[in-house]
Amino acid sequence: MSEENWIEVGATDSIEEEDLIRFDHQDKTFCVYKLTDGFYATDGICTHEAVHLEDGLVMDDEIECPMHQGIFNIKSGEALSPPACEDLKTYPVKVDNDKIFIKID
Amino acid sequence: MKNNIVILGGGQAGIYAAREIRQNDSKSNIKILGEENLLPYERPPLSKDFLLDKKKEEDLYFHSSDVLKNENIEFENISINKVDFENKKLFAKNDNVYSYDSLLISTGSENKKLSLDNNLKNDIYYLRNLEEAKKIKEIVSNKNKITIIGGGFIGLEIASSLSQLQKKVIVIEIGNQLMGRIIPKQIADLVQNTHIEHGNEIILNKQIEKITKKNGDYEILLNDNSLIETDFIIAGIGSTPTVKLFENTNLKLDNGIVTNQFCETSIKDVFAAGDVSNFYHPFYERNMRLESYQHAQNHGICAGKNIAGVKTEYTSIPWMWSDQFNLNLQLTGICDEYDEIIERGNDINNGVIYFFLKNNKIRGACGVGIIGKVGRDIRITSKLTEKDTIVDKQILSDQNLKLNKLIQK
Ligand SMILES: Cc1cc2nc3c(=O)[nH]c(=O)nc-3n(C[C@H](O)[C@H](O)[C@H](O)COP(=O)(O)OP(=O)(O)OC[C@H]3O[C@@H](n4cnc5c(N)ncnc54)[C@H](O)[C@@H]3O)c2cc1C
Ligand code: FES
Repeated sequence: MSEENWIEVGATDSIEEEDLIRFDHQDKTFCVYKLTDGFYATDGICTHEAVHLEDGLVMDDEIECPMHQGIFNIKSGEALSPPACEDLKTYPVKVDNDKIFIKID
Repeated sequence: MKNNIVILGGGQAGIYAAREIRQNDSKSNIKILGEENLLPYERPPLSKDFLLDKKKEEDLYFHSSDVLKNENIEFENISINKVDFENKKLFAKNDNVYSYDSLLISTGSENKKLSLDNNLKNDIYYLRNLEEAKKIKEIVSNKNKITIIGGGFIGLEIASSLSQLQKKVIVIEIGNQLMGRIIPKQIADLVQNTHIEHGNEIILNKQIEKITKKNGDYEILLNDNSLIETDFIIAGIGSTPTVKLFENTNLKLDNGIVTNQFCETSIKDVFAAGDVSNFYHPFYERNMRLESYQHAQNHGICAGKNIAGVKTEYTSIPWMWSDQFNLNLQLTGICDEYDEIIERGNDINNGVIYFFLKNNKIRGACGVGIIGKVGRDIRITSKLTEKDTIVDKQILSDQNLKLNKLIQK
């Protein structure tokens, strides 16, 4: 676990509670969420078809895809509702000095 | 108690019902009878990603045979051609007889056919199932100029896919706008422009007078005497519930099988769900029949609960989508009962939504935009509808104001 893998996303106040922001790094894109109990991160693209989840709706611990309402658990990435059936990849998140970092492998 | 539960029709509503029954009832026999020799699969990709080769057959199945085996759900490939509700029996062509204690009818819907001379019957293609999708996909690979009769969702989705396969596509629609009157004209026009920008030709307000076969190609004569030459014809002119089997029985039919909010039909122990059912919606206080993915799933699940004895009302707010080119169109609630229309946005790149209100509450909405741009707002709209919220119209009409501000927690 080298330190280099932690990538800075932005300030903790850049995301409203129960909301998300899109974060692009190199050729990858992610969603970073602020839920009532902290920050979380997942892949940015829905596993069903190629649409970005940044335009989706965050409700409790879930993100709902804007295209066909596939639902994923933000914390585990589990696909909860069709047409999404493949899980979404999740990433560790830490907060340091009011800044959010995600660990990309 | 161990019952014999039979599900007639192995599509989306059928499979979701079967699994829901099993969740609530570990003992009963559950048997799905399906005339397609395929496990239940998703139809939406047939007109889109399957034609485009972005999805393969194996991507379409809802569940593998292992899932059904583990849950002890039997699937039998058989076509039923007679029912005897009095004695609770179903009959197949091959003389097989199936007895049930409870029956779910989930036979879906079927495409309307053009009335044409007999000798052309096999020349016009329709799209409802995987077999037809495979055939169309194979044949269009050698065709260039394709005509779609009917500018509804499925016809337009096929037109979008074929255009992306570099085909010249002509769509002929009898009405004065695409996708029927249920879609706001402004939204239909935005979708039409996108088709035209991609090279598709859209002909409105025209009827087919005659189709003639010429050297393997076709000539379509329209009612204004114009002539269209084409080398392949697909028709998508709407669908009807699959109820022929029940026409001379006691089962109450009216634009499908009439059901109450518990998916119960007019006959005891007989339930119906999905495209085939004209169900009572307690929120809208009226009956409706829907042909949508979300509805087939949720209605199937609700029927499953009721069959298993868990009395459950069906209250889902209707929702459906259509994908054409880089556009995603969504429809929620009902859009034909309103005293006010409110528009949100006017640029397809940011999404355009029309809300249909009655007594200051949303009854339904229709939106279209570049993929991803209307989904969140439409979803919030469904919630506002469901909660019967009196809405602030200023927020609805101003795209800079977030709709989730309207949700009362
Ligand atoms: C090409 C296409 C594209 C679509 N795209 C979208 C979309 O983008 N968005 C959306 O929301 N919805 C879409 N839909 C609609 C959605 O797929 C349907 O609403 C849904 O499949 C309905 O499910 P169902 O279980 O009621 O019926 P079906 O899935 O049609 O299943 C019914 C099954 O019953 C079988 N059956 C009928 N009679 C008998 C009999 N006598 N014996 C045995 N079996 C029988 C049929 O063969 C069929 O397999 C699309 C539909 C099609 C055809
Ligand atoms: S693209 Fe996300 S559910 Fe279809």
